Amino acid sequence: MTTGKYDHITDQELLEKFYADRNNEWLGILLQRYTLLLLGVCMKYLKNEEEAKDGVQQVFLKAIQELQKYKVEYFKSWLYMVAKNHCLMKLRDKHGKIATELNNETIPAPEETDKKKLQQTDHTLDLMESSLQELNTEQQQCVTLFYLQKKSYSEISEATGFSMMQVKSYIQNGKRNLKILIEKKLKEEMNQ
Amino acid sequence: MRENLKDILSHLTTDIDQETLLLYLQDKLPEDKKHEVEKKLVDSEFAGDAMEGLQQFSDKHQLSYTVEMLNRDLKKKTEKKKQRRQKLVLKDQSWLYLAIFILLLLIVISYLIIHRMLQS
Repeated sequence: MTTGKYDHITDQELLEKFYADRNNEWLGILLQRYTLLLLGVCMKYLKNEEEAKDGVQQVFLKAIQELQKYKVEYFKSWLYMVAKNHCLMKLRDKHGKIATELNNETIPAPEETDKKKLQQTDHTLDLMESSLQELNTEQQQCVTLFYLQKKSYSEISEATGFSMMQVKSYIQNGKRNLKILIEKKLKEEMNQ
Repeated sequence: MRENLKDILSHLTTDIDQETLLLYLQDKLPEDKKHEVEKKLVDSEFAGDAMEGLQQFSDKHQLSYTVEMLNRDLKKKTEKKKQRRQKLVLKDQSWLYLAIFILLLLIVISYLIIHRMLQS
């Protein structure tokens, strides 16, 4: 399934190679890296295995066409947006629903580890410990088991009785709330 | 254990390779590896969405075959254009050779005609 000899080349380098000689084979190698993810995204929105497969093929075509027209900076985020847009358009055609199309300006740059925050380790960890206590019981329980005790979703599900989807949601929301709480506390400290 | 709290603030940008993702879906990974994959899934919206969708497939063991088929189709699409382009280049060159040949032939014929006319 992997492209083997090209594994060491980054997405950006493959794109550069394509822009240099306009050989679509580079795009083929690049897009292959995301086939499984695209299949999953299409399935999530379209809820049909055959439509998901067709969706991936159409996303490939769309990507190949669009990449000829303009340069893309954050390929992975861009491809995700193309796939989501394709699915939303499909759903709109199917159900007549109004789907909001994302445009290039909304592509977020990939997030990087917030080094500054991590450098203030001890203080941040203190804040985190206190903030953890402020989460609701379910989020607190799942975040603790996941991040501190390094349990998998299935182990957490077994231990707590929550479904896998609930576990996932409690961890995601708990993580987001923790970040908000810490940022709030850091701001308050700055103002004092 | 306190140090593990740092993982909550960090944003792991490392990608999950497709093989690992498939093994995760087929429940073939040990618990610690599963946890590693899940940590990356929490951090990546793309991978998180994809996982949600992939879990809805009825036969997870068919997924690698499906991916293989999609990749094969993609390869055909990206190769075809290259071949077509190569054919076009060859075609263009053959026209060029033909034009040069005809031109040379015309020059020779013209020379012969003029030469004979001058002689007579």
